[in-house]
Amino acid sequence: MGVAIKGNVVNANPTPGNSFYQFTHNQNTGADGLIVIQLTMSNARTYTGCTYGGVSMTQLYTINRSGLAQRMAFFYLENPPTGNNTLRINFNGSQWNPISIHSRSFTGSGGIGNNANTGGSATPNTQPINFSADSFVMATACSINAISTIQIPQGSNRTFASHNTNRQVGTGAISVGTGAVAGSYDVRTTATFGNLTNDRVEILGLSAPVDDTGGDFFLLM
Amino acid sequence: MYTIISKIELEGTDNLSYSDYGTTTDPEIVNQINEDFDSTFGVFLGENRTKIELGIVSVSTFFESTPFVYEARTEVDNIDGLNLINVTELNQL
Repeated sequence: MGVAIKGNVVNANPTPGNSFYQFTHNQNTGADGLIVIQLTMSNARTYTGCTYGGVSMTQLYTINRSGLAQRMAFFYLENPPTGNNTLRINFNGSQWNPISIHSRSFTGSGGIGNNANTGGSATPNTQPINFSADSFVMATACSINAISTIQIPQGSNRTFASHNTNRQVGTGAISVGTGAVAGSYDVRTTATFGNLTNDRVEILGLSAPVDDTGGDFFLLM
Repeated sequence: MYTIISKIELEGTDNLSYSDYGTTTDPEIVNQINEDFDSTFGVFLGENRTKIELGIVSVSTFFESTPFVYEARTEVDNIDGLNLINVTELNQL
């Protein structure tokens, strides 16, 4: 097993003022690449898809957090084109509220593993996630009030980008590797007061290589 | 981290277009750009967001007196190949 390698990051908090928003993201060179994007914006619009380098990304989730009037989403693409490419987010109409964007590259990744989403709950919002060996866990949170901490696992503060979408968003928090053993731990998000969300996604490392040290083999010429 | 300075202009009559103008690592420049944005276009958006969404107000009214605005709210850790100017003073804008 091997943990994925963290790559380039983009954090952005613009007001699109259009039916799409796009920016350049540099995908690192290396085998088994992965690019992910965490999004939060007003639920006045919906996400109609994301592309990277013109290739459609896979939607892991999109959630309408009606209590916060926000729509939160996660898209990813395995084996994306490398180098500088356009990451484009499409909406079902012009979005005139600010959007929170976090995109991150990986190499040496086995893709997306478990994910879990928890809506607004009183701070601290502490929720579990199961993970495989050699994974990362990413988390994001949204609240009316400022996001104070994102802990992955509980007790381990991780850095995050603070964005304002007319709500407060903490995005881009990621753990250190989970270690060589699969298991479960709690992800804790906190705000200055009140309710906040807790969304978490597992980034897989690579699976164990096929054992070719035993058995009979034929060499085909 | 580097901060991308975006140039925001009117696209057509009712949309915005973003282009990358430059980069900076100076937090004072970032703050000044965003304070200028917030006190001009940000105020306009705050007062008119719902009216724009409903088609009652056009964003073009703001750009009648201001051809473009800058914003610095995109952070990246890699600027290789972007070929953007390094902004070290506000008068470069």
